[in-house]
Amino acid sequence: MRQASGHPAPSRRRVLAGLSAGTGVALLPAPALAQGRPLRIGMITSLSGPFTALGESMRAGMNLLLDQSGRAIAGRAVEFLVEDDGARPEEGVRRARKLIGADRVDALCGVISSGVALALRDVVTEARVPTFLLGSANDLARGAASPWIVRPTKTNWMLGSTAGRWTWERVSKARVLTAGSDYAAGREYVGDFAEAYRALGGTIGRQLWTPLGTADFGPLLTAIASERPEVVYAFFAGSDAVRFLRQWKEYRLAGRIPLVGPGAFFDQEDVLPATGDAALGAVNTFNQSPTAPAAAGFVRAWRAAGRPLPGEFSTTGYVCGQVIKAALERAGGDLSDWEAARRALFDAPVETAFGRMPFDPRNGGAVLDIHVNEVRRGEGGAMVNTVVHTYEAVRDPGPAG
Amino acid sequence: MDLALVQVLNALSFSALLLLTGLGLSVVLSLMNFVNLAHGSFYLLGSHVAVVWIGAGLPPWLAFPAGFVAAAAAGALLERFPFRGFYGRPHLMQVLLTYGVSLILADLMRWGFGAAIRAPGLPEALSGVVFVLDLPFPVYRLFLIAAGAVLGGGLWFVLDRTVWGALVRAAVADRGVVETLGIDTRRVLAAVLVLSAGLGGLSGALGAGMLAAYPGLDEEVLILALVTVVAGGLGTFRGTVAGALAVGFALTFSKVWFPEFANAAAFAAMAALLLLRPGGIVAPPLRQV
Repeated sequence: MRQASGHPAPSRRRVLAGLSAGTGVALLPAPALAQGRPLRIGMITSLSGPFTALGESMRAGMNLLLDQSGRAIAGRAVEFLVEDDGARPEEGVRRARKLIGADRVDALCGVISSGVALALRDVVTEARVPTFLLGSANDLARGAASPWIVRPTKTNWMLGSTAGRWTWERVSKARVLTAGSDYAAGREYVGDFAEAYRALGGTIGRQLWTPLGTADFGPLLTAIASERPEVVYAFFAGSDAVRFLRQWKEYRLAGRIPLVGPGAFFDQEDVLPATGDAALGAVNTFNQSPTAPAAAGFVRAWRAAGRPLPGEFSTTGYVCGQVIKAALERAGGDLSDWEAARRALFDAPVETAFGRMPFDPRNGGAVLDIHVNEVRRGEGGAMVNTVVHTYEAVRDPGPAG
Repeated sequence: MDLALVQVLNALSFSALLLLTGLGLSVVLSLMNFVNLAHGSFYLLGSHVAVVWIGAGLPPWLAFPAGFVAAAAAGALLERFPFRGFYGRPHLMQVLLTYGVSLILADLMRWGFGAAIRAPGLPEALSGVVFVLDLPFPVYRLFLIAAGAVLGGGLWFVLDRTVWGALVRAAVADRGVVETLGIDTRRVLAAVLVLSAGLGGLSGALGAGMLAAYPGLDEEVLILALVTVVAGGLGTFRGTVAGALAVGFALTFSKVWFPEFANAAAFAAMAALLLLRPGGIVAPPLRQV
């Protein structure tokens, strides 16, 4: 539905048509194209597989920004090409090679799955294509940082470690139980939370893990109920998050045990609408919130199209567009001298829907305000991630850390 | 002790869900020897219909029959074309056909119901909780256990103890002889497939409160249902019940004892079981095309 109200979502056929036209043009001698050639921005995201809804949101966020800009940036028309990675790294690599080789994009952006993001890292670095990568695995800001990659988004560490601080300062100094999806992101969120919490002097109790795609959380919730912890830090994503939260309420743990997690666990668009009031009162640390002051303009424009409150990936798609726009405007509409364009981008912060965004020149990652959101009842009884505190200018430890 | 008791209830409720999803699959497999990989799609259709039904403010209890009717209708259409032509074909052909159909249905449902995760609001009577020795246990899960028991028992009774069931079994065993009695076996087989699809939809409507509804759930459910049916023993009704209990308990207690290796532990147990009893827990008299 989101898609219908959005924009000319490039259907596969249209993209294919664009592709054949594109390759035709690319065969012409280069000088003839230099002036009028439109800017080509390629996006790789998940339009099938487990992250379909997130990928559609990311694309819609980017489309909103492009429409607001009149489909032109720095005086050049923009062509926006979207490819589906199906959340599979090898597919993402194939699509990236296609966008780079056949479509000759000026910049790449996108990616939901960190697996795809890490796989693309070498491809774009080798091909020397300016890339605005939205994956959030910690390694992307550390060992896998690349001079060709700008990341206008968080790392998992930024959310895990701030949650550790918040839990220590405001919730409980002991008897924390953690529960997480047993995959890369879950291990990072929970690991960084535990590390920050322990560093402050807290003690972690039982740590529970379940495989990705768990149908029934009953056994886990019964174990939690019998442990009676002071607070639970948990991370699940997508359908796992919906099931966990609904069952959390069914087992009467909602409202009795404080629940803390990273923002994706309570995503405004992907998770909260399907969980009724099960998450009411839960707290999450996140770079995104529909109630953050910096996001107000974006939220208004997003809702003007009849859409519900935006979640992480629609906002991230929009912010990605804002950062690409800023980079192009500062570079006079041409990214071919990437060294200079990158320096200009890092020289001054960019105003985005995530707030004022400076970049860390060591790894090209954004320095972000991390909000503490509490899930509260908003207008019409809907659950809304409401900012209750903000940790300002959180920066990933980076390559040295 | 109390903890173990609640975990047994957890296992039973999950087994009930597995039984509900496995039943439809096992009915066509055991009675018609037809492998229907589109069964997960019927389940997801039932879930979506229940979510839409309850979301529209219609009486929540009728969401379950609505799920049944919607999936049964889809089953009736698909039975006419293309399933009917494949009843006598080898399993591999049926697998290819029904897998293809499931992909088409998945895209149609994503188009019709959207890609977002959706879940129904449960009726008031089901959203409560009972305390079992101080530990909470949701009423909805007790309802699932009851629904599994009632539907399983009812289906067994109809197929095993009534003349209708005898007719169906006879039509499968020897179509020619049944035809000589003046019975149109095509309609009998069509009825079984429609019933199976309806059961898939009904279990989807019942299970939506536990598993929610989203693209991709069809495959997850199909795999659970296949494991249930295969572990229990292909082609027997009691086998499906045994399989549902075995898989439900294995998945639940592996989460209790080795949460980090839950799937590996549970499926290793299943594999061991199949090595020991290749025919499943309740091995049927083999009848392979």
